[in-house]
Amino acid sequence: MTDQIPVTVLTGYLGAGKTTLLNRILTEDHGKRYAVIVNEFGEIGIDNDLVVGADEEVFEMNNGCVCCTVRGDLIRVLSGLMKRKGRFDAIIVETTGLADPGPVAQTFFVDEEVKARTRLDSVTTVVDAKHVEQRLDDSKEAREQIAFADQIILNKTDLVSEADLERVEDRIRGLNPLAPIRRAERSAVPLETILDQNAFDLERIVELEPEFLNPPHGEAGHVHDEHCGHDHHHDHGHDHGHDHHHGPRGHAHQDDIKGVSLSLERPIDGTRFTRWLDALLAQKGPDILRAKGIIDVAGEDRRLVFQAVHMILEGDLQQPWKPGERRWSRAVFIGRDLDEAALREGFEACAA
Amino acid sequence: MPLSFSAYVTSALFDHSGRAAFALGDGTVRFESDETVEAHPDAAILCAVAHPSGQGLVTGGDDGRLVWSRPEGAVELYAQRGKWIDAVDASAESGLIAFASGREVRVLDVKDPKFARVFAHEKTVSDVAFDAKGRRIAAATYGGADLWFARIEGQKATKLKWAGSHVAVAFSPDGKFLVTAMQENALHGWRLSDAKDMRMGGYPAKPKSIAFLSKGALMATSGANGMVLWPFGGANGPMGREAVEIGHDETALVAQVAATPQGTIVAAGLDDGRVWVAELSQTGVHRVRDEKGSAITALALSPDEGRLVWGDEDGNAGLVSLRG
Repeated sequence: MTDQIPVTVLTGYLGAGKTTLLNRILTEDHGKRYAVIVNEFGEIGIDNDLVVGADEEVFEMNNGCVCCTVRGDLIRVLSGLMKRKGRFDAIIVETTGLADPGPVAQTFFVDEEVKARTRLDSVTTVVDAKHVEQRLDDSKEAREQIAFADQIILNKTDLVSEADLERVEDRIRGLNPLAPIRRAERSAVPLETILDQNAFDLERIVELEPEFLNPPHGEAGHVHDEHCGHDHHHDHGHDHGHDHHHGPRGHAHQDDIKGVSLSLERPIDGTRFTRWLDALLAQKGPDILRAKGIIDVAGEDRRLVFQAVHMILEGDLQQPWKPGERRWSRAVFIGRDLDEAALREGFEACAA
Repeated sequence: MPLSFSAYVTSALFDHSGRAAFALGDGTVRFESDETVEAHPDAAILCAVAHPSGQGLVTGGDDGRLVWSRPEGAVELYAQRGKWIDAVDASAESGLIAFASGREVRVLDVKDPKFARVFAHEKTVSDVAFDAKGRRIAAATYGGADLWFARIEGQKATKLKWAGSHVAVAFSPDGKFLVTAMQENALHGWRLSDAKDMRMGGYPAKPKSIAFLSKGALMATSGANGMVLWPFGGANGPMGREAVEIGHDETALVAQVAATPQGTIVAAGLDDGRVWVAELSQTGVHRVRDEKGSAITALALSPDEGRLVWGDEDGNAGLVSLRG
């Protein structure tokens, strides 16, 4: 088995600061060599042999799965890059501002050759603190890019007030309760905190727990759910029949995409849960962008860890629960028009 | 003769004079006579083919250049910075070279520096192949393959359609059939007289390496635990017939196959670094390299079937005589 090269997918709306970040990655002295796959060759004003142009050609796989789309150009470029084996350490894939991150992420799970040689490290989304609310109101792609992210760089924070930042962060967390948010000015984030994060590694999900689904109050990525014991916006509002299209600023759950956090203190029946999750992804896969979870399976000492990108599910029994550790199951689904009540009911019905 | 280079072996082949050469991921071409040609400085070679003149190799690189290398040096044939050249074919019969650069297929004539044809496609071209006479070019792309007359300007392509992404292409030696390898683990084929579709599936991996042999009566492919041989004789080719698998080994996949169009010897390079050859009139396979390593990425038989050359992902390579 050859070493898998880590790949960071960099998304973000036009003007969010992706190019500035890429320029930093290519010019800073960090001791690593990155191959960068860009969509608009020439935008990066750097003459570097490892900057490669790509065409964002998305196609459907002939495997009967409607949401199973991949980037054909990426498969070709990655296969070409492998011929430079040993001359770079990691790969960054930049997507266009209007791109749906689904096909690029799925490429790393669907194509066996790509899967054998590379591993998706994270989907990192750069957002512009000043304009993100407008973008979220008028662009489906902007909402999807945030929903899809493993981490979010909230850029240009110097251009808005603290109150604005908090409102923006609230709205981002409504779309994606999983991704930590890192504030930045002029895309200046420590590169070691965004690259090579193993955000897609199931083992890593376990390492990050028990707080991975809900970092403590006051920390980046914290979500208000039933465990933090105060009133919040997650337990109401989805059944009001309100208009989903007006999407005014600050009304977080007017977004068609949201994250639904579920948890259960009782052990879960493994067979029932697997069946429920398979059926859910088969039916709602096109609308479910991401899912992650840790499950306490009845009669099993190890925890079941899973994550999904649309219909593509990866799951594994990981390290055992420690004696005295709080055993509970947690899952987050991020998607479009999710029926939170039905999800909760289905999840809870898996109790052993 | 075991060899070791410090870069990925993109291609290992024989030119028409029978001289072995290696095209590498570090941009160099190495000849068996020990010359090193810096064909693509600071770049990687993505594809290679024997030059139509019979002397040396034509290589495409991730520097956007097409280069002709002979032991005495390199000549640039084409360059467009920023566009990879990752597929090339050449025909000694017609003296033409065809290569893919993004969505274009370009054709050059080695005897006429002014000759240039550009064939545009809607999607990126993944592979190009000449027919045996070097008159037609097939381009593998998304949604099927496009056929072009290599010398004609301003023509419309004959489109052979099949949903999906086609990543490799080859004509049968008699020009009656066209076969593509797909993004899925399958081959697709067309009988060119009536564009009748042929589906060849059941592979555990992508069958990207294709070689015709036995005067076109057989087609060997990679993508399975053994080498897969499809019958291509008669008017119907493989339609309604079964493939056979030789050299089956549960622990490895065949990554590369090689043969010559008129010959009866096949060679296989495995994804665990092993290499074997088989003579179709005999049973069993003859192990050429039994040592395991990284996946074989390049493999070729000399035109007279007397020698075999291979290379792997890590730069290990070999050249052996198959006679006595």
